[in-house]
Amino acid sequence: MLKFTNTFRDGVGFDTLLVGIALGYLVVFSAFPLAYNLLMSFQDVDLFSLTSFDRPFVGWDNYREILSRPELLPILWNTVKFVGISVIAQLSLGFAIAMFFQLDFPFNTWLRGLFLAGWIMPALVVGAVWSWVLAGDFGVLNHVLSELGLIRANIFWLSDPDVALYSIIFANIWLGVPFNMILLSVGLAGIPEDVYEAAEMDGATRIQRFFTITLPMMRAQLGAVISLGVIFTLQQFDLFAALTQGGPANSSNVFQYWSWQLAFQNYEIGLGSVISVLMIGFVIAVAFVYVRSTRYEQES
Amino acid sequence: MTFQIELDQINKYYGAYHALRDVSLQIPQGQFVALVGPSGCGKSTLLRTIAGLEGISDGRIEIAGRDVSTLAPRERDLAMVFQSYALYPHMTVRKNLTYSLRLKRRKAGEIDTAVEEIARITGLDGLLDRYPRELSGGQRQRVAMGRAIIRDPKAFLFDEPLSNLDAALRVHMRAEIRKLHNRLGATSVYVTHDQIEAMTMADHVVVLRAGRIEQQGAPLDLYDRPANRFVAGFIGSPAMNFVDGVVAGDGRSVQLDLAGAPVLRFAGQRPAGEPVCVGLRPEHLEVGAGRDINRLDLPVGMVERTGAASYVVSDTTPELMIAAPVRVADGARIAVSIAPENLHLFARAGEGLRLNT
Ligand SMILES: Nc1ncnc2c1ncn2[C@@H]1O[C@H](COP(=O)(O)OP(=O)(O)OP(=O)(O)O)[C@@H](O)[C@H]1O
Ligand SMILES: [Mg+2]
Repeated sequence: MLKFTNTFRDGVGFDTLLVGIALGYLVVFSAFPLAYNLLMSFQDVDLFSLTSFDRPFVGWDNYREILSRPELLPILWNTVKFVGISVIAQLSLGFAIAMFFQLDFPFNTWLRGLFLAGWIMPALVVGAVWSWVLAGDFGVLNHVLSELGLIRANIFWLSDPDVALYSIIFANIWLGVPFNMILLSVGLAGIPEDVYEAAEMDGATRIQRFFTITLPMMRAQLGAVISLGVIFTLQQFDLFAALTQGGPANSSNVFQYWSWQLAFQNYEIGLGSVISVLMIGFVIAVAFVYVRSTRYEQES
Repeated sequence: MTFQIELDQINKYYGAYHALRDVSLQIPQGQFVALVGPSGCGKSTLLRTIAGLEGISDGRIEIAGRDVSTLAPRERDLAMVFQSYALYPHMTVRKNLTYSLRLKRRKAGEIDTAVEEIARITGLDGLLDRYPRELSGGQRQRVAMGRAIIRDPKAFLFDEPLSNLDAALRVHMRAEIRKLHNRLGATSVYVTHDQIEAMTMADHVVVLRAGRIEQQGAPLDLYDRPANRFVAGFIGSPAMNFVDGVVAGDGRSVQLDLAGAPVLRFAGQRPAGEPVCVGLRPEHLEVGAGRDINRLDLPVGMVERTGAASYVVSDTTPELMIAAPVRVADGARIAVSIAPENLHLFARAGEGLRLNT
């Protein structure tokens, strides 16, 4: 018995078990759903056939169907705006705040900790808070703006088709800044002080130091933050569910929410799967860029 | 005469901590100055105030006759070699070397010739396209040097540039830096806590303690005539022996607080009965020298043999270290003598100022 446990612990047995657990987890919880999703995108799936594999294959029909939907282009455009504006704003704000916290001032770490508050809160709570802030009639934001005399009539942040998407983008930026800030802070802290001093001795101004030292040395972190930001933003679901449900009239709808609507509200599960598959393809491309940016961080 | 670097009554506080106290220093063009002192005495702080990386609380800094006390580092035109080298990790050696020139928007052709020249001087040809992480410690050191030289600055500042190298390479680089200095004729300020480095490299040595200049002068002046006990103990290796004593009735010899109360002659004259601290360098205690006076007969305690020399520690209180060129047996007694002019007398009270002239 002792011999058995020893070979188990020291021999290949234990290693195999560890690898097996990790692999098993990936297969059951990642690979299988992905494959199942891919499969469903080529099938006609309804509520009753959901649990059986024996469903009619429809080839590219689901894909054709999605591509012919009139709402496809507006939603695609919304998604691009949502991801693009969110990531750029999160990144620049996060970077600026991270640089600010590099300075030495009292309560520095304490304040930085506070920034994580939004990150710790459950997404549903965040959604509820923002829906109070942005509510048209009794919202906090409208109240503040009108008290300050900046607006005369209430703005319907969540129900005006021209504004709804940007309201969500705003909330999403708020949500993503702490993550960007923390990751970039770590990167900034990793740049040795004496490298800046050497650059200063070499005659670099503050701005030149930013562009020739800080930015290039932050390449890997920036790559990571951008790719993860894109992925997280594409995953952002709660804000849409809590604030606008994609409305009014799809004016704030994006792919991830549309996919859910199709699959779980209209029960056009095959169509929902098509959108997931397309998004997965995109995310894989982003992940590839991310992996490259971390692997070759020192080169070039 | 205008000096290349002139410090006038520099004071520097970190909060309430007084890091530099009334430091005044004049460095002529082309001089190699070493700042030495124990850890925490303010060597780096002084160097960094010259560089402009630290502000000063009080005083005046002039470089080539221009008051730079409040100017930013980049307006002072000095180059610095850091202990950690502080190379730009994301740039190749070539980019590291040319960084300052590129900031100044020099022409590409001009930059290329400069790089070739520097690579030749520092022995970096063939390594120009490597990244710092692909270099050995010694090669990084050369890049740091090259990056300073290429700028042709008003002066070079070195902060313990060799302390990360192994002993053999350190000795080699020591000679190389000094050769480079002679060749470029530039003014250099060199911080080290290694007094041998300071003594061998510098024209002028400045000994710091607790933010204050204890003594400055040519290396051999410091060795021959240390101004106080601290400098006497700091300069010279192995360190000077100190024994308390009292000036004898003739005012020309001193009675030591050792077993047998030996009396040694010294050069000069002091009041009889004055309590003193006598400094005896280990290498001045000559074994078996045919001298009639100033003999000491000491019991041998421990012997350290390096081959070339033996270091004998006497079995007395306080212990005396003797640098003996011969092989000495343990347990025996050893007879040494010392020339009167090699006895250093310091006051026992206060700063331990030098008493003999
Ligand atoms: N930024 C700072 N804030 C407060 N005190 C400091 C600071 N920098 C240095 N000091 C103090 O000033 C004194 C001198 O420091 P400095 O770095 O100049 O010493 P040093 O002579 O270079 O020592 P070492 O040989 O160990 O490098 C030290 O007592 C140190 O604690
Ligand atoms: Mg230092």
